[in-house]
Amino acid sequence: MTEVTAPPRDGRGRLLPRESDPTAPMLQVTDLAVRFKLAKGSLKAVDGVSFRLDEGQALGIAGESGCGKTTTALSLVRLLPANGRIRAGRVDLYGIDLVANDESQMRRYRWREISIVFQGAMNALNPVQRVRDQIAEPIEIRLGKSQTAARARAVELLDLVGIPKQRGLVYPHELSGGMRQRAMIAMALACDPKILIGDEPTTALDVMVQAQILQLVEGLRAELGLSLILITHDLSVIAETCDDVLVMYAGRAMEQGPVSRVFTRPRHPYTQALIRAYPNIRADRRTLEVIPGQLPDLRNPPPGCRFASRCPHVMDVCRTLTPPEVRFDDGVTAACHLYGTVSGDGSLASDPGAVADGAIGAASGPSAPAATADDDAAYGDGIEDEDRSPGEPRSADSLAGDQSRMIDRAAHTIVDERQHGDPEQRA
Amino acid sequence: MSSILRLRGLEVHFPVRGGFGDTLLRRARLVVRAVDGIDLDLVRGEVLALVGESGSGKTTTGRVIVKLTRQTAGTVEFEGEDVSNLWSGPALRGFRRRVQLIFQDPYETLNPKQTIFDFVAEPLVVHGLGTDRERSTKVLAALDAAGLRPAAEYALRYPHELSGGQRQRVVIAGALVMDPDLIVADEPVSMLDVSIRTELLHLMLDLRKERGLTYLFITHDLSLAWVIADRIAVMYLGKIMEIGPAEAVIRSPRNPYTQALVSVSPSPDPPTQGERARRTILEGETPDAAHIPSGCRFHPRCPVAFDRCRVEAPPLFDVGGGQAAACWLAEPGGAGTVERAAPTAEG
Repeated sequence: MTEVTAPPRDGRGRLLPRESDPTAPMLQVTDLAVRFKLAKGSLKAVDGVSFRLDEGQALGIAGESGCGKTTTALSLVRLLPANGRIRAGRVDLYGIDLVANDESQMRRYRWREISIVFQGAMNALNPVQRVRDQIAEPIEIRLGKSQTAARARAVELLDLVGIPKQRGLVYPHELSGGMRQRAMIAMALACDPKILIGDEPTTALDVMVQAQILQLVEGLRAELGLSLILITHDLSVIAETCDDVLVMYAGRAMEQGPVSRVFTRPRHPYTQALIRAYPNIRADRRTLEVIPGQLPDLRNPPPGCRFASRCPHVMDVCRTLTPPEVRFDDGVTAACHLYGTVSGDGSLASDPGAVADGAIGAASGPSAPAATADDDAAYGDGIEDEDRSPGEPRSADSLAGDQSRMIDRAAHTIVDERQHGDPEQRA
Repeated sequence: MSSILRLRGLEVHFPVRGGFGDTLLRRARLVVRAVDGIDLDLVRGEVLALVGESGSGKTTTGRVIVKLTRQTAGTVEFEGEDVSNLWSGPALRGFRRRVQLIFQDPYETLNPKQTIFDFVAEPLVVHGLGTDRERSTKVLAALDAAGLRPAAEYALRYPHELSGGQRQRVVIAGALVMDPDLIVADEPVSMLDVSIRTELLHLMLDLRKERGLTYLFITHDLSLAWVIADRIAVMYLGKIMEIGPAEAVIRSPRNPYTQALVSVSPSPDPPTQGERARRTILEGETPDAAHIPSGCRFHPRCPVAFDRCRVEAPPLFDVGGGQAAACWLAEPGGAGTVERAAPTAEG
């Protein structure tokens, strides 16, 4: 840490913690691994997840229950349940490693730099305290404001999220679900954070109320320059609000990249299956495809790709080796052996010039050696693929022809599906 | 087409219990008009999705059909017979054999102290059907049909040993064991993960094919209705605003409420600028059912409401192709048509 007279500021001129490095990425998560201790053994809830969040960016983390998305979110603010522990990896906020920090230091960043709106937030409000006063409380305690000043700020915040002043004086039970969710967002904004994490923020809400809340969040993002991490099982909410998406399955990142690419042209068989299993009101397709099989047991996950047992394109290598993350020219990375080690095959990237600005890449910067080396053969980042595991038996060249055929098939499955629809199901 | 179920002028009004002060001051009692006059026909073998936001009365409608809530007015006909006043006796039991309900939450439906076998067998016991051996055959067949295989193994388990998806399969088995004609499914999959949800929807559709079941599928999720239903009925504040074939209701909705709902229903396709611009996010919240607005109950939030809407409630106008919309703008030869481009697939 260097002695500086002027405190560091971010790109928008906002104050940063004194010990931060304003040139470092806003949030860089590298090979995060989280274990939950169970009565018997431990559960590998998150296993080597990397992503990056830039100023003003909105990242969606998608996946089904048990994929580790909520655990990832809680790790960022170090609010894991008592039996959960970050086993490896780094969470860097402007160069400050939050994992290495102790709790008292973490308190300086939580809510002020990163805040979180919890799942089931509607029940998280204190039923016997006025809404305004609940929002004022963290301002008083964290920022050391007087009660009057804190309450005045709380009223401002309520106004910001669309709750009229008088409604702030009521108790939570007098508010509708949508209004309570707005109050929770106001509370999360109390200490003017730079990153807002929403854990299933609209899951229990009606579709019209959900649209209102998403519109609010979008507005806040623009107005306050917030960066957003949206955790949800609802692919459509991510498609609506986020720039980038990280698709998780069984504790690992399967695919990540710009929403416009990943959802229109998913590369990873899991992403493809997930999208085909998802009802889409804009598509002609009215059938849903089943993803056969079950989530692997995360107490003792199988070697290789976690999705191998359910994957329609499974190969022998998938059951033994953890797939590397392959980066495509359009900024998408997918952890899948189908794409081998080929980096940006011409036939894949329709738009080779366009590498998204906010590309969230596992590979920017030196890749930490496999965080999960104790149990996995390799968890390489695979993008430059020079430093990949020596155990990798296949060469890119020998497979190139094969691969591109498979890739083509995989990439076009969904397109075909939509064109043809399924008239039979209606019969 | 033969209707298996016919609702006419169905109303469910719940009086709100006022406080002591209200009684003293002789204030008028408030009435929550949960269901406020609906007509609905279910055709044998179809899946009709009843879609609405919370407070629309969709669940209450389902409960009236399965005889868990009494209507305050209107009639319910099942297979041509008036069952409106069927509240006890063997006739009610006969009716209940043929109409089954699946609830949203399998965690609450199942008794944690009861084995799966006992849960599924319970309706047979209650109705005094069959010998022990026959019951056990039926239970195992129902579990098998619900995809819990091998059935004999699942039968002896307790609910806590099963996953959410398996529990909902048990609930479905419990409904199947009576070999019903009509299943009212109230948000049967909304607690489940995407992949498990898909399996259950497939199961429900397969069962329809095999057994000729009819479903009333109650959901808040228009996208789900789109993929499962033959017809969709959209409810708002106790009234049906629009009904018709799924294709028509989603692709060319005629009621502004349906149009707004469709426009904000998110999809995994990232929205184009055009779609964003066409989106109609209604302001405010659904009024409470104790204070239903005059005229068309949607008029205070309707983007295209005009004078008539404030005073006179529109009936369901037939707009052709089996579609009907409760909106003055859908009146044949009326004030005009809301030819707002409906969100379409290409885009």
